[in-house]
Amino acid sequence: MFSDLLFRLRALLRPKVVEAELDEELRLHFDLQVDKYVKSGLTREEAYRRARLVFGGLDQVKEQCRDARGLNLLEFLVQDVRYGLRMLRKSPVFTAVAVLTLAIGIGANTAIFSAVNALLLNPFRFPESHRIVYIEERHISGRNQGAGYRDFLDWRQQSTVFEEMAILPWTGSYTLTGQGEPQRIVGGRITCGFLQVLGIQPLVGRFFTADEDKPGAPLLTVLSYAAWQRRFGGSPDVLGRPLVLNSVPYTIIGVLPRGFALPGVQTCEFLAALRENPSNDRFQHQYNVLARLKPGASVERAQSEMTTIARRLEQEYPETNKGWGILVTPIRSAIARETKTPVLILFSAVILVLLLACANVAGLHLARASSRAKEMAIRASLGASRGRIVCQMLIESLLVAFGGGTLGLILAQWLMASLRSAAQEELALDAMMRLDPAIFLFTLVISVSTGILFGLAPALYGSRSDLNSVIKGDAGLWSRAPAHGRLRSCLVAGEVALALVLLVGAGLLVKDLTVVLSLQTGLRTEQVLTFALAPPSAKYSSPQRQAAFYLDLLERLRFTPGVDTAALVDTLPMTGGMTGGGFQIEGRPQAADWVDTLVQYNGSTPGFFRAMGIPILRGRDFDDRDGTASLPIAIINDTLARQFFPNEDPIGRRYRDDYDGKWRSIVGVVGSYKSQQPMKPPIPAVFRPLAQTGLGFEWITVRTGGHPERLAGSIRGIVRAIDPDVPILQLRTMRQVVSDSLSQSRLMTQYLAGFAAFALLLASIGIYGIVAYSVRQRLRELGIRAALGASYGSLLGLVLRNGAQLSVVGIAVGTPAALAISGLIGSVLYGISPRDITVFVGVPVILILAALGSSYLPARQAAKVDPMIALRCEL
Amino acid sequence: MTDNRLDLPQGTLDLLILKTLALGPQHGWAISERIQQISGDVLRVQQGSLYPALHRLERRGWIRAEWGASENNRRAKFYELTRIGQEQLEVEEGVWRKLTAAVAQVLETT
Repeated sequence: MFSDLLFRLRALLRPKVVEAELDEELRLHFDLQVDKYVKSGLTREEAYRRARLVFGGLDQVKEQCRDARGLNLLEFLVQDVRYGLRMLRKSPVFTAVAVLTLAIGIGANTAIFSAVNALLLNPFRFPESHRIVYIEERHISGRNQGAGYRDFLDWRQQSTVFEEMAILPWTGSYTLTGQGEPQRIVGGRITCGFLQVLGIQPLVGRFFTADEDKPGAPLLTVLSYAAWQRRFGGSPDVLGRPLVLNSVPYTIIGVLPRGFALPGVQTCEFLAALRENPSNDRFQHQYNVLARLKPGASVERAQSEMTTIARRLEQEYPETNKGWGILVTPIRSAIARETKTPVLILFSAVILVLLLACANVAGLHLARASSRAKEMAIRASLGASRGRIVCQMLIESLLVAFGGGTLGLILAQWLMASLRSAAQEELALDAMMRLDPAIFLFTLVISVSTGILFGLAPALYGSRSDLNSVIKGDAGLWSRAPAHGRLRSCLVAGEVALALVLLVGAGLLVKDLTVVLSLQTGLRTEQVLTFALAPPSAKYSSPQRQAAFYLDLLERLRFTPGVDTAALVDTLPMTGGMTGGGFQIEGRPQAADWVDTLVQYNGSTPGFFRAMGIPILRGRDFDDRDGTASLPIAIINDTLARQFFPNEDPIGRRYRDDYDGKWRSIVGVVGSYKSQQPMKPPIPAVFRPLAQTGLGFEWITVRTGGHPERLAGSIRGIVRAIDPDVPILQLRTMRQVVSDSLSQSRLMTQYLAGFAAFALLLASIGIYGIVAYSVRQRLRELGIRAALGASYGSLLGLVLRNGAQLSVVGIAVGTPAALAISGLIGSVLYGISPRDITVFVGVPVILILAALGSSYLPARQAAKVDPMIALRCEL
Repeated sequence: MTDNRLDLPQGTLDLLILKTLALGPQHGWAISERIQQISGDVLRVQQGSLYPALHRLERRGWIRAEWGASENNRRAKFYELTRIGQEQLEVEEGVWRKLTAAVAQVLETT
């Protein structure tokens, strides 16, 4: 046993010495044999020849001795890894392409699968999250909306199936003072019981109690973990200290646990109690409500109980609650409903990328198999067993896989970081998304086993074949090549088909985005700069002081060189926000349900329409004489005019709405603009003069003579001159605002475009590989053609046709698949049809051009072939 | 080349090598010559089997190798029997004798 180990170790550690000794031993044997023959009377030459015959293959004997030494496993492994690395180094292009392909396939899959996992499969990592439900009000018209505050109070009081019910943080930005420079931070208003609904405890301190929700209770706040770390250095004595928000001190009573994340809440630095106030009525459906079911209670039971409550509320408050039901949804489905389609599209894309990567790796290995058939045959004839060759190939594949996996892991981390930062707002990925080791392993195993499967091809070809003919170099090329080449051709055509599907998807999204961005919005977005200000409410407590601040600002802006107009508006177009309500015309009956006459409410100062390039179709704009002392007036847009005054002139007519119930005379009609996103149609809207209604949170819009960006500096200067304590928010050009309204689709488009580019690259590499291979195989045939007078052009055409044919087959297979899949993408397209003809024609053209491009190099080699080559045997 | 050569049954080469080495240390070529000589040219050991067998026996610890000078004064690897090898030889010899006796008996009686 011990001698056995020593023996193996010596051979393993000193392979050269052991080999040299074996050599010497065998040589001595040979020479003694020769001597013997010479002594028996043969000539030296004859003896030599005879000894050779008797001796047989020297290398085979050596190989058998190595086998007999029995140290194969370890020794072979070390040797094979060394050899494998050397072989990979010798073909850097193959290695680089194979490793990169695997890395991108594995990396992209891991990142996207992790996102899917976070969003669709396991989005809510709270204890017993299956008991958490989302509750919203649903109007008979089919619209789902959040809950009104008073409705929420009734639900909480009357329901019995829930352990706890709470309003999700109502986020807003606040000015934080007392900690260096004044800053705007995001915070959430919330009801007690919020943490109980989620089933978690504060990390430090406590959460609000039911009494602290009531008006008049002391002002308290709970910090987020991040804010606690950043602003208070994670100090435990933070409890009891004040947080000054909008100049009002709140006492800190607790800290939220680390990694606490909910959609839309992860940017909150603090939570404070949501209190009942006059605007918290039953009209406004603005709150998101979560509840935790009692153990054993089903969603169905909760639904039926809430439906009963909704009926009761309808009877009790018919003017506000008529037609409103209640919908109870498990939280998982509620989140998935929001994010399903984009995630599914990315998910499908990434699966296609994985398939492509596998096909490419397979193709690469097959190509290598053909170029290594001779090497394998030689190794076999030198005594390598089939098992040994297979093992060697396996190790090479594993080396490639290892490289690809490592690089893929790095890539996945990077992709996830970019997904996180890009999609933070929309998808709430930040704290939810983790690199999932199971997913990483899954993709690694899939792509590695493809590599291994096809990596074995060289071994099988090499060891199965008739050694003689392979070494001579003809049988391998003429008889076996077609079958082998067909498999590769199928793979490459498949790659083209997959690339086509991805390119069509990306092409549709890119075209849609450009079409949507170029849609008429009803605004002239060039040369417009917008921003908002946040005057601290404690300092600007009275409406007069606030108004004075804004008027001063507008006055200074108007006299700034380069400024054409400056105006205020309370709802900036294309920012997604909307305030709306009912609308009643004087002399006509009130609609049975205010939802039937839903219009958007806006407030603006004179000049807003001019700044935004909105035409005044009839009547006039507001002017400086309109104020609290004059008659209440309003301007309507022409969508409203067409809907409510189809055949009459609205100028001079009076209406009232749910905002303040005053009768207002219509003094003007303006053009409609799209208020949410470029693809959503305009809705009826009224504009009230801010001078008559008072100011709230306002946007400043500035039309400039030249480049709006150049004005940013002077705007900062002006604001600082009026009050250095007022932070500037979201200084953007209007064009940027429009583009930002599409940020989620833009993100998806960028990813899909990236995947499609990768697919195109892989398919091109595949085509190049197979065409180059067939040129190498057909070199003699091409030589004969050249010798018989084929011209440069005709040989070039011959090979180019080869590449084009592959792509045409791929296109023929891929187009029906792309048509089928475009249905999925159709639901996120706004500007174009999912069967858009330019995309479906353009993509195949691109693919054919790519095929011709990647066939060009081998084609040129073929066209320049030396006719003499036809006469030589050795290639 | 004469045709009265016999192929060695599986496993017998090890026995022959051990027996040959029982007479004293030998190098590879001498072992094959000795076997050929003693068997009256009937048994010829091919290098392709001899050396793997020697290496296998060495690994098992039944023989050990030492470098010495050959008859033509070159470095040669001399194999000699170890104590385990000695015991193994006796066991194998016993097995062989029993086997051949049994085979012979069967052949004679039928």
